[in-house]
Amino acid sequence: MTAKTTIADGRAPAGAVNREATEREPRHRPWLGALLAAGLAVALGAAMAGIPREHAPLPRIARYALDVALPKWGLTEPVNEVVYGTRGFDTFGETFLLLAAVVSVILITRSREPRRGYFGESTAGAREQAETDPAAGTDAAEREARAAERREQAGGPAALETPDATPLGSPAPETAETMTVVVRTAIRIALPILAVAGLYLVAWGYSPGGGFPGGAVLLGVLLLAYACYGRRKISRVVRPALLETIELAGAAAIIMTELLGLVLKGSFSANWLPLAAEQTPLSGGIAQLFSGSELIEVGTGLAIAVFALLGMGHDWARDDGQDGDGSRP
Amino acid sequence: MILVNYLAAAALLCTGLYVLLTRRNLIKIVMGLSLMEASTYLLMVSLAYRAGSTAPVLLSPPAGKTAGQLAHGNVADPVLQNFCLTAIVIGVAVTAVFLSVAVRIAQHYRTLDADKVRAMRG
Repeated sequence: MTAKTTIADGRAPAGAVNREATEREPRHRPWLGALLAAGLAVALGAAMAGIPREHAPLPRIARYALDVALPKWGLTEPVNEVVYGTRGFDTFGETFLLLAAVVSVILITRSREPRRGYFGESTAGAREQAETDPAAGTDAAEREARAAERREQAGGPAALETPDATPLGSPAPETAETMTVVVRTAIRIALPILAVAGLYLVAWGYSPGGGFPGGAVLLGVLLLAYACYGRRKISRVVRPALLETIELAGAAAIIMTELLGLVLKGSFSANWLPLAAEQTPLSGGIAQLFSGSELIEVGTGLAIAVFALLGMGHDWARDDGQDGDGSRP
Repeated sequence: MILVNYLAAAALLCTGLYVLLTRRNLIKIVMGLSLMEASTYLLMVSLAYRAGSTAPVLLSPPAGKTAGQLAHGNVADPVLQNFCLTAIVIGVAVTAVFLSVAVRIAQHYRTLDADKVRAMRG
């Protein structure tokens, strides 16, 4: 009772902020969760005691992969040989697991109306759409919305707002799309190095896993460009139609690579390309082709997922006065 | 003492399960799932480890050795490393699916509390 009156008076007691935060944290049966987690911990602990440790001999499949990597595939990277050779069918399946996840993200994040880009079109006209009477004349808010729309239509680097133009010491403009000159310069230097290093390692087959980490590097390049230059600069590359086409082209290339083994050599995911000298881009036969297609598939797939998530704002269900108790039909 | 790594992986998995069972914030549930994913990465990389081993790379063997000797020597397990790195990419994509579902639930029900999302109650 006393605590309530203190809060009502506006004089919060010491530590009230923290207590409120923990009180609002929704939890559900901590004792049951602790019991089940402890039970799993005991079972796992018992199981862990019995699995091979650091002095056990390598499993046969691992020794086999190490043996055939160089003579049969011309790869100096046994991990790559496992990913795209010995266990190629496994990787094939995982590729389409990734594709299924990306398709799910596209379906879930899809907006109500078809859009060409991930960003922008909903924000510019939102205020205008909410206007009840179109003949009521323009006020400051509408002029701002119209200006934003015009800027968006014009596009191009001239319309780019940066915080550089404002005098030192003043807060950066809230609508600025790009980051400051310091960040932009740093990223401009780092970006090509990152992109070239990633693609080089994949092309020469030096990176364990080939296209998988390479694709993640490609996503990193796109995200860095997005963070420092804003969405308008990357909107020519990062748009759903282009990324989805490239993604499916990568998937088709992977299917072709694996199926041609069945057609030409009689076994799915068999190598049907001649082996070049080791430590060259063509050394691994189809392993390198698979790796390159995987790079396309993973890079665009992750980019689609991330940008679809970033662009899914402003699509809230209409608030019909029933407040946030979740009792929606 | 690689057993410590195994037990740490088990502890991570149990922490993730505890978060999953007790928290009702959807974002925290996704974080719990990510913890459980991370525990499998730790377990697989630890399983690949061998005492005093080198990385499974056959590039430029030391003087007096051939790549074939390197392959038969003491190296870490490349198969488990393969599992780990494909699992990471799949994990990222699956987390993206979870997060997009969480955003949609937030937009539709105006809450992230799984207890308040009544339509999901049986």
